[in-house]
Amino acid sequence: MSRPITVYEPAALRRVRPLAALAHLRDHADLLITLSQHRIKVRYKQSRLGILWAVVQPLAMMLVFTLVFGFLRSAPSGATPFPLFAYAALIPWTMFASGVTNASGALTSHASLLTKAYFPREILPLTYVVAALVDFALASLLLGLLMAWFGVAPTWTALWAVPAIALLAVLLIGLGLFLSALQVRVRDVALAMPVLIQVWLFATPVIYPLDTVRAALPPWLYALYVMNPMAGIVDTFRRAVVLHQGPDVQALVTAAVVTVLIAPAAYVYFTVTERTVADVV
Amino acid sequence: MSAIDVRVEDVWKQYRLGTGGKADAFWALREIALEVPRGASLGIIGRNGAGKSTLFKLLAGITAPTRGRITIEGRLAALIEVGSGFHPELTGRENVFLSGAILGMRRREIAAKLDRIVAFAGVERFIDTPVKWYSSGMYVRLGFAIAAHLEPDVLLVDEVLAVGDAEFQVKCLERIRHLQSVGTTNLFISHDLSAVERLCDRAILLEGGAIVASGPARDVVASYHRRLTFPPAAPDQPDGATETGAVLTNLAVHDPGQPDGLTLRTGQPIAIAIRYLATRPLTGVEFELRYYSVDGTTCLAAPRTGEHGERLDLRPPGGVVEFACDVLPLKPGGYYVGAVIRDVSTSKVLAWWDGETRVFVEPGPATRGELYIPHRWRLIHADDVSVPLPASGAPPA
Repeated sequence: MSRPITVYEPAALRRVRPLAALAHLRDHADLLITLSQHRIKVRYKQSRLGILWAVVQPLAMMLVFTLVFGFLRSAPSGATPFPLFAYAALIPWTMFASGVTNASGALTSHASLLTKAYFPREILPLTYVVAALVDFALASLLLGLLMAWFGVAPTWTALWAVPAIALLAVLLIGLGLFLSALQVRVRDVALAMPVLIQVWLFATPVIYPLDTVRAALPPWLYALYVMNPMAGIVDTFRRAVVLHQGPDVQALVTAAVVTVLIAPAAYVYFTVTERTVADVV
Repeated sequence: MSAIDVRVEDVWKQYRLGTGGKADAFWALREIALEVPRGASLGIIGRNGAGKSTLFKLLAGITAPTRGRITIEGRLAALIEVGSGFHPELTGRENVFLSGAILGMRRREIAAKLDRIVAFAGVERFIDTPVKWYSSGMYVRLGFAIAAHLEPDVLLVDEVLAVGDAEFQVKCLERIRHLQSVGTTNLFISHDLSAVERLCDRAILLEGGAIVASGPARDVVASYHRRLTFPPAAPDQPDGATETGAVLTNLAVHDPGQPDGLTLRTGQPIAIAIRYLATRPLTGVEFELRYYSVDGTTCLAAPRTGEHGERLDLRPPGGVVEFACDVLPLKPGGYYVGAVIRDVSTSKVLAWWDGETRVFVEPGPATRGELYIPHRWRLIHADDVSVPLPASGAPPA
């Protein structure tokens, strides 16, 4: 019988082996599944509304924005009913906001575990991404109901939602890995998150359409604006599902490039720091 | 020639104390090298702060060494109490799956062992209760039971005997012995020296982050005792010049009945040699011994040379006095021994040895409670129940 051989050496850039790490992660797939399940179970276990809470946050924000634009009598959603317009953007946005907030605290909130047992540390932030995906799926059910209510049927463009959400998941994994490792050494990250998320919301076309931004900004500033990968992701999802349009190519491509650059860099940073995370957490 | 399951090559571990740029670097482990062949059992002993826990964390992969390399062949499991991984809102059953997965078990494996784990922990009735309602004992036992049901190639044990009550500890020991019998390679980190002697073939002694002794477990444990009773940090103080005219320069505890004299056991003889220097003649003094338990309380009445009014006269340059006792009454554990020289007429302390000498008392005759008292039994009137007992409180006729 062959035995696995494990080597522990000082963390170093030249020892980052993504393929070996992925195989190692696969060995611990059961932990990822169990921990994600419990993450979801624990969240809703003691609450009266249970899984309905997954819907409450985007729904509440949708109602607030609908009221505000109702008072102003200037909903920026064109022919589309504003509640639908806002909600379709708010569900990927909520997935991002809660996913990145929870994942960034994944290591610091498990300090006692990190100092007692070894398992691939990336599992901790990953479980929050899985939980955010599940919440997104639940919140999408209400999107279906809203579309039925407003009589908006999906068309083939809805397929663009798949790459948009896949991109969002990769972005969450990258940011979750980076911010969780950073927060172990720089605790300010936890304090900065709420501010960052709030500003980020308004820098993303959630309550206004991306087209308005394209029309208002000079091309170079627009190119800068879409460097926020959430712009391309949220806009692509909304166009695909409720506006029956293909993506804004520049925004989506920029989002994909930025995400694909962030993810490996975050992974390397995480791997180099996680080996000694138990010393400082 | 069997394979080497655990190989530690020139491992160093540095911690930074404090935060930010002005952190002090501190080497918790230095130049550690060891090999554990397949199926062998190695004990790792040393004082608090000697580096045992750091070595444990490196071997378990919890943190990485600063220098060097550790190679482990086979599936390694750390036998630790994993209750810290429990989520209070989840039931015992859900937590078994969660903790099992943290320790690297597959769901199928956990499901197959669930009944045994629950029985081992003795929490059958409460397995579907959220663990936040568990008593602390149940919590710890369940956490430990999960780890105990791993079937690793290499087992790391950290202070196993500190967990749970006596009955649970016996279960844990049986489990360890079972794993040893099926050829698991073992590493024990423990304060319990007699357990290390019983369970391990070889041992290493850590001091200040370095290995200072290694070899057969009995020898290393003896070496540990020697270091405790004759601390190298406290050699004879050369300079005896003091205002009071006397100074205590060393204090050594040993068992005069043993060939090596180093292992102290409850109920066995004990002797304590105290070296003093006198810079001028001193008259009318006495020596007094003090035992402290490790928590600092004085735990034994102080035997004095002047108990019955005797007075000693000391002359320069000094000498050695010996305290001897045929039966050591202290229960097993760690103690400090101190001594003073006192002027009997003024009660002024002229010199003191202030608890620098540590002794470790091993179990001797079975004792419960705080002290062992020397005693004898005899059978009187084996066949007559009518003989009146002596009145209580009065000595028998």
